[in-house]
Amino acid sequence: MITKKSQKLLKSSHSLIIVCKVSFLLILAALLRYIIMVSKYQNIIANHVEISTPLSSWKRVLEGTFLFSKNINPYEGDLLHETPLALHFYKTVLQFVFKNVNVMFIAFDLGTSVLLYFATKKYAKKFREEHAEIEKFPKEVRDTLPNQDYENKVPLYVLMSVLFNPFSFLGCVGYSTVGIHNFFMSMFIFGMVDSNFLISSLALAICSSVSLYPVILILPLITYFVKVHKSYLQALLTLLSFITFLTLITCYNSNFGKDFSFVRNVYGCILTVPDLQPNIGLFWYFFTEMFDHFRELFIYSFQINATILYLIPLTITFRNRPFVLTVALLFLIGIFKSYPCLSDLGFVLSFLPTFMYLFSYCQQGFVISVILLMTSCLAPVLWHLWIYSASANANFYFGVTLAYAIAQIFLVTDVLFAHTKWEFYLKHGKDIKIDGEDTKLSLE
Amino acid sequence: MGLLTDPSGDQRGIIWFASLASPLFNASTYFSENALLPGLVKSTFKEDRFALQYFQELQDETQKHESSIPYSWLLAKFRQIGLDSYTHDFTLHSPLNPNDTYYGKNVYGILRAPRASSTEALVLSVPYRPPKSIYPSTLPSIAIQLAFAKFAAKEKYWAKDIIFLITDHEQLGIQAWLEAYHGVTCGNEGTLNHGTLKGRAGAIQAAINLELHSVKIGQIDIKIEGLNGQLPNLDLFNLAGKICIKEGVFHTFKGKTPKYFRDPYKEWLYSFKNMLNMVSTQATGVPNGNHGLFLRFGIQALTLEGFEQGKAGSRSGFLSIGRVIEGIFRSINNLLERFHQSFFFYILPSHDRYISIGLYMPAVCMIAAALIIKACAKWCKMQENHTEIRYIKVVIQFIVMHCIGATVMVFPELVKALNSDVSSTVSYGLPSVLVGSLLIPFLLKSVNHSEGSLNLLCIFGLLELGTALICLSMNNISLGIFCGTISVPFALIAEPTKNRIFKIVQALFWCLIHPLSILFFVVSINTFLMFHQENITEFVFRALDATKQAVIYSIADSMIYGNWLYTVVSTIFIPNWLCFWNVICSDFKRHNVNVAKKNN
Repeated sequence: MITKKSQKLLKSSHSLIIVCKVSFLLILAALLRYIIMVSKYQNIIANHVEISTPLSSWKRVLEGTFLFSKNINPYEGDLLHETPLALHFYKTVLQFVFKNVNVMFIAFDLGTSVLLYFATKKYAKKFREEHAEIEKFPKEVRDTLPNQDYENKVPLYVLMSVLFNPFSFLGCVGYSTVGIHNFFMSMFIFGMVDSNFLISSLALAICSSVSLYPVILILPLITYFVKVHKSYLQALLTLLSFITFLTLITCYNSNFGKDFSFVRNVYGCILTVPDLQPNIGLFWYFFTEMFDHFRELFIYSFQINATILYLIPLTITFRNRPFVLTVALLFLIGIFKSYPCLSDLGFVLSFLPTFMYLFSYCQQGFVISVILLMTSCLAPVLWHLWIYSASANANFYFGVTLAYAIAQIFLVTDVLFAHTKWEFYLKHGKDIKIDGEDTKLSLE
Repeated sequence: MGLLTDPSGDQRGIIWFASLASPLFNASTYFSENALLPGLVKSTFKEDRFALQYFQELQDETQKHESSIPYSWLLAKFRQIGLDSYTHDFTLHSPLNPNDTYYGKNVYGILRAPRASSTEALVLSVPYRPPKSIYPSTLPSIAIQLAFAKFAAKEKYWAKDIIFLITDHEQLGIQAWLEAYHGVTCGNEGTLNHGTLKGRAGAIQAAINLELHSVKIGQIDIKIEGLNGQLPNLDLFNLAGKICIKEGVFHTFKGKTPKYFRDPYKEWLYSFKNMLNMVSTQATGVPNGNHGLFLRFGIQALTLEGFEQGKAGSRSGFLSIGRVIEGIFRSINNLLERFHQSFFFYILPSHDRYISIGLYMPAVCMIAAALIIKACAKWCKMQENHTEIRYIKVVIQFIVMHCIGATVMVFPELVKALNSDVSSTVSYGLPSVLVGSLLIPFLLKSVNHSEGSLNLLCIFGLLELGTALICLSMNNISLGIFCGTISVPFALIAEPTKNRIFKIVQALFWCLIHPLSILFFVVSINTFLMFHQENITEFVFRALDATKQAVIYSIADSMIYGNWLYTVVSTIFIPNWLCFWNVICSDFKRHNVNVAKKNN
């Protein structure tokens, strides 16, 4: 009796400690963000192209809402690239809920972190339970299996990395609307892990309607319901509800079929890349330099690269691990989309703690972090030299963004290969002999 | 692991950099911008008599104004020539003492281009120095400027407006004028009140700043180093040199002309000394002439400083100098686009050879790579040893160091906000903050109790230093190389150690490369070169005083001109130094390693 009671007490005190920790982190993160937001640095950060792309700039949203309030269609110019729904949403939320733009961005960022906290908590628990029977696996790999420690640490680490990784931090401080999009993205992840098809499909529909690329994530979502939650019915319902929500949102956006002018400015802008303002992606330099008659061909090839090129092979390879698949696709979208910003990388980086068990299999972690550090410091320096001092030029900046993209590609390859390797070892053990000789797995 | 355990990249980088001075490794300069067409036209400037006359009148005029600019006379002359002439008032609220205010007045005249609307402009500027000034007089340059204006006003081929600018109070005047012209404030708000301009021309393409100290010129020195180590386009430098040769004016770079030796070593040494001369000027980030402040606005500019004594036998008079100016301006007048062709990042070992960014960057990268390879090696070692590391504590420690740096950065502003005298407070406050921060490793005894944590802190420090060096040398190569050469060898041997002697030796070395100690050494060498007959104590006190002055000047420069040397040192180099200091001086227990051994 006593032991049971004390255990219960211990458990409740344990959860109390976690609640304290989480709320301390949240308050600290909010405070730090607020301090920078009210300082003179906010304006500098918000004006950086690494943070405000044509699609994520808060200035453009303000301009759009103003034009809307004056009954001018903001989609007649080429200034605004957010959907009408997003615009109304920001306006309403800002007016009736938060009142203050700083509070709004902080709240969404904290919301993202909390949602991801619960999502990864669920995921980690499930993942540990899958590998609970240690005896089934070869001896050598047993210590890399997810254990209780993994389950306890992962959600906290994820929370910390959403709150304190510099990429998300700068995005939030610089009023990048991608931060708000990421909130819905984390809602999608939460719904997916929680086997709630309504939430996940709604969130995914919102994300897809805003930035188009997430539409490909419907495949991992369906796979998740089929493979993890083992329910074909739910998978079907997910697909149906996703389509329904998407139709409804489009209906709303187009003012019930009356006005489709936003399509050209939102999806047209994302797909055909008319605004060649430099950013950290790979499109602008290429399409500035290129002869116009090749433009169409390369638009197609770049967009296919960003969307469906990796979708099918990755889905086949990771069909049993749809969570890994989702993260990989998020990474690839963030690298290859037409207007990426730092918040995109910040969001996907926060999933890395869920791959803690792979760290001993990753080979390039150090190199990648050095490249990311270098490029993120060099980019603003070279931007300054190019634009303000007029002494460096576009090639310098592009060189840095190229290295930045390469680092991300290395990262996603490294994680995925480590995962494949890990699964292979779980199945076959570490001592593999081919023709009686020791072999080693390597990526070629 | 051979590569990883051999961090000698810094030596290779330094050798690489030094050897670049040899003509075997660098290239001779050439014109990249074809539109310049230097020296293609026949010079027609004949107004040297007017220049002499202006000079005599001006000499009489300045006697009446002991310490201020004779603006009415200058305005009258500009009007007589037919320029749109204006004055420009500015005010400086001293950044060091809130109660001090200085006033100044610039005079400028605009020659409107007959062949284009006022969309582009060129500047010919001269700093005005009253008789009381400690610097050598520049009256001859004002005389030649007026004579050139008189000549240019009647020519029909100008496609860009020419602004003739005479500035007051050395660099303050030009900074205020440029800020007013572009409508921006570069330094802190409320320090330099730049006032307004009544007349304006188009976007300024290039500027020539004249400082002639005599009517007869023995040699002209071309000066290029600007604020924060920025340099003008190499084409402009080449242009000035080429026109000087054409007009038979003896010109130099850093007071030296190229010499040719049969012995390659001597040749290298001569160029290397010359190159170091440029590196030392550029590394300070302080402009060595009024041209240096134009560069930030994307305006290519240089200073022509003329001395009476020259190495050449003959001296050139106003006629040749006038024709040099004519040649330069007619060339720039041909420009169809802004300067963009040639190099913006280069080092000059002599005035006809250059080292481009592609040649010197590998040297910096090798130096920085040594740090990063060392960090990588440490990381790999840590992975193998499985030592206990407290990541969060290390990160917090790292952040605390940077908070100290940030405090140092805002310290002068805080003092100023509290309305007390900055120079005296800073000269006592700053050293005490820095000395106080030395105690951190002894106060934080409880935090660093494992070797792994200290190694991790060391890795952070190495990575930060490497990144900072590369970013710095993109902006100011000389400063990057200077910092790299000094700090990298010591950073590479910094190691948490149990050995007392090694620890003390390391700590001593590390103290020697504290940013303040380095400043002290540099200043003492300078003092020594200037006053080398003094006895030791007097010399040390003089050097200490000069160091104090240098810190205060760098603070003032950052507040008035937006010079970022003080900011960079306080936010990056001081925290980084503290990181390594912590690594070196902290005590730790080795129990983790023992545990690992037992397990094995």
